[in-house]
Amino acid sequence: MSLLAVRIADVLLAAGPGYLPERASSVAPSVDHVFAFLFWVSAFFLALIVSLTILFVVRYRSRPSRRDPEPSPSHDNRLEILWSAIPLVLVFAIFAASTKVYYAMTELEPGDSPLRVQVTGRKWSWWFDHPSGKGANQLHLVAGRPTELVLASTDVIHSLYVPAFRLKQDAVPGRFTKMVFTPTQPGTYPILCAEYCGTNHSTMGAVAVVHPDQASFDEWAKEGLAPGASLVEVGQQVYAEKGCVACHSVDGTPGVGPSFKGIWGKEEKLAGGNTVKVDEAYIRESIVAPAAKITAGFDNVMPPIPLEEREMQGIVAYIQSLKD
Amino acid sequence: MHSGGDLTVPGAPQESYLKHGRGLRSWLFTLDHKRIGIMYLVLIVVSLILGGVFAMVLRFHLWNPSGGLVSNDTYNKMFTLHGAVMIFLFVIPGIPSALGNFIVPLQVGAKDVAFPRVNLLSFWLFAAGAVLFIATLVVGGLDTGWTIYPPYSLESSRGLGILLALTGVFLAGFSSILTGVNFIATIHRMRAPGMGWFDLPLFLWALYATGIIQIFATPVLGITVALGFLERLFHLGIFMPEYGGDPVLFQHFFWFYSHPAVYIMILPAMGIVSEVVSVFSRKPIFGYRFIARSSIAIAVIGFLVWGHHMFVSGQSKWVNVIFSFLTLLVAIPSAIKTFNWLATMYKGAIVLKTPMLYVLSFFGIFGVGGLTGLFLGALATDIPLHDTYFVVAHFHFVMVGGVLIAFLAGLHYWWPKMTGRMYDERLGRASAILIFLGFNLTFIPQFFAGLAGMPRRYATYAVEHQALNRFSTAGAVVLTLGLVIALWGLVASLRRGARAPANPWGAASLEWSAASPPAHDNFAIAPRGRKPYDFTGLRRVSDEAGWVHAEGEGA
Repeated sequence: MSLLAVRIADVLLAAGPGYLPERASSVAPSVDHVFAFLFWVSAFFLALIVSLTILFVVRYRSRPSRRDPEPSPSHDNRLEILWSAIPLVLVFAIFAASTKVYYAMTELEPGDSPLRVQVTGRKWSWWFDHPSGKGANQLHLVAGRPTELVLASTDVIHSLYVPAFRLKQDAVPGRFTKMVFTPTQPGTYPILCAEYCGTNHSTMGAVAVVHPDQASFDEWAKEGLAPGASLVEVGQQVYAEKGCVACHSVDGTPGVGPSFKGIWGKEEKLAGGNTVKVDEAYIRESIVAPAAKITAGFDNVMPPIPLEEREMQGIVAYIQSLKD
Repeated sequence: MHSGGDLTVPGAPQESYLKHGRGLRSWLFTLDHKRIGIMYLVLIVVSLILGGVFAMVLRFHLWNPSGGLVSNDTYNKMFTLHGAVMIFLFVIPGIPSALGNFIVPLQVGAKDVAFPRVNLLSFWLFAAGAVLFIATLVVGGLDTGWTIYPPYSLESSRGLGILLALTGVFLAGFSSILTGVNFIATIHRMRAPGMGWFDLPLFLWALYATGIIQIFATPVLGITVALGFLERLFHLGIFMPEYGGDPVLFQHFFWFYSHPAVYIMILPAMGIVSEVVSVFSRKPIFGYRFIARSSIAIAVIGFLVWGHHMFVSGQSKWVNVIFSFLTLLVAIPSAIKTFNWLATMYKGAIVLKTPMLYVLSFFGIFGVGGLTGLFLGALATDIPLHDTYFVVAHFHFVMVGGVLIAFLAGLHYWWPKMTGRMYDERLGRASAILIFLGFNLTFIPQFFAGLAGMPRRYATYAVEHQALNRFSTAGAVVLTLGLVIALWGLVASLRRGARAPANPWGAASLEWSAASPPAHDNFAIAPRGRKPYDFTGLRRVSDEAGWVHAEGEGA
């Protein structure tokens, strides 16, 4: 019965240009059931209000043959009890249905040992540290495997939102928050930032990649740059994955931050009027303590980016390689 | 100048409040609640226009998924100022301070509010707050969102803008508290002889409930913005994690005010609906006592639901569950009001003039606004919908569809009383219909965008949402056109409108027994209280003379 209601609600929603996203987590179908229940309760009451309004206006509108109201009571306790009690009963029903599903949305499903991923939000990219030490700008998951995300933020509040999982959780600086779920459908799903965080809030996206099985996930976890990769290749990967790309272009167009193109060795003008030579020391400082020296014409918005030594060497080499 | 009015022989006709004293000073330093109300009205309408211009920039920017009209930073400043100006300078003060100031003393049958000097102070605080908001624009704008969440809002790179905005909110908040104090004192102490609590027009019950919220909730806003101010300057370590503070604490403080503030906005709107639906159905309001008590119930429950704004902030599961239940309870007093309004129309003689058309559209739009609130009060559906366009659509259905439309209903309803002129009924009706259509075209698509997963406060968006956004922008143009026609109709009536009789609608509450526009002292003879919805004995004479009581009472 409730499934039928979901179907009908789906059809109605599909009739509009918008549509509920795919259902790719174990809780998504039950969330949509609660949605359908609420949809029908609301549709009934809206129809009641609108049709009574129209009916009364048509029947009782003032016209030459009908200038005065008909006598009718101005209060009726039975009616008042009726239209207090019915909403009260419905409120209890909605609360019960929704809270039951909410518990499912916040508790790990029993099953295999959960996949634990550390999530870091920062202006304006996400970073996912998977077990076995593999970090990426994509969230990799295994279909059917319960997952626990621990979220943190290095600057302001962000919110990890995966519409296909029907889940959302704020990442709050100074706290760790948790999000648990079990992905069900292999595929790639958009991740969005739902808490306003500044200039590039609307492009602070990532994807969740749900592997069909553990073996496929393991294979991905082993991938990486060949041990013999050059520093420039390492740097290029760091640039793309650790969020530099969100603000620094490599083609000379200034973004939120200065472009990397041709800055190596240049004398940069700073906000205070001083200048600084763009060398390894300056680049390292700008990554560890971005606020120390601000290039003239730009705002102090960059969060510190923790990098491993090889990654640090890589990004320096990469910027060096972008010299004209 | 004042003594001239005071020496008039009781019962002799007096000059209208508009002519009592001339020149700018006689307005700016007036203690007359009616002139203060008119000054509020001017500022509030200017704020509405300003907020509306910001809104149109947002809507045109969103015509294309990649934006294109303005930069991301400018977009962020525009939605911040759109929200801040609309909420703090239009929706919160709109009905209580502008219409309430004018109508409250007239409805209780008094000469003025209980504390006229405090009333003037309240106006000046509000004006100062508004000036600081404009100053924020001048120093480069503010891109924090109207909710000013730290750490983003208090980052050390921020300059004067945030400090000006916090001070502006602080001053506007004080103005709101003083207005609440004044209305509560006026309703308690200055009711006409013979006017018991259950003889109060329901607009007054609504403003009384509003006053309670203003007095108890607004100080928390004042303290919060003061702490934010000090945190920014002296790094106290209250809200900012880098100094040892907690940003979620700010959210609790902020919503402890700002959720009840939703009821500061909507309760007066419901008060107007109660007045208009009864007068234009020519029938006593149905279930008076239930409507009155449900206002108080909404005020009380409204204090206990703020946590639903933090369902995904990481607060404890139990806290979420309790807040969810309390939030859903608001549905009950809202349902009571709605069904009592509908029952009032039953077997009435419904007159479809402009105020009633606005109220009819309020029923549908506020119905959607209230019912979609269930989706956001219920945890399972709130979590995916939180901070998406579903929320944007929901609160615009309540704030614009509820408050703005009720404000326009009230403004048209009391316009003859305030100005002594009748507005053009054709323009009024056209505006009501256009606003209804434009509003729905603007905001219904946003529900679908939210369901499809489009987060709010996005300067750019996924291509799949483009059609919805274009409908929304087209709707905003129609809505603007409706508002322009409404404003034009009212302003034009000041020159061309027919002279309004004392009682053009056949209403029974006391303000309609004063002249239109009222004299400086409101009533020539102190009136006695009477039942506000008892229309027996009212007789329509003509368009020019309006309605009179057969007994000649209160004429």
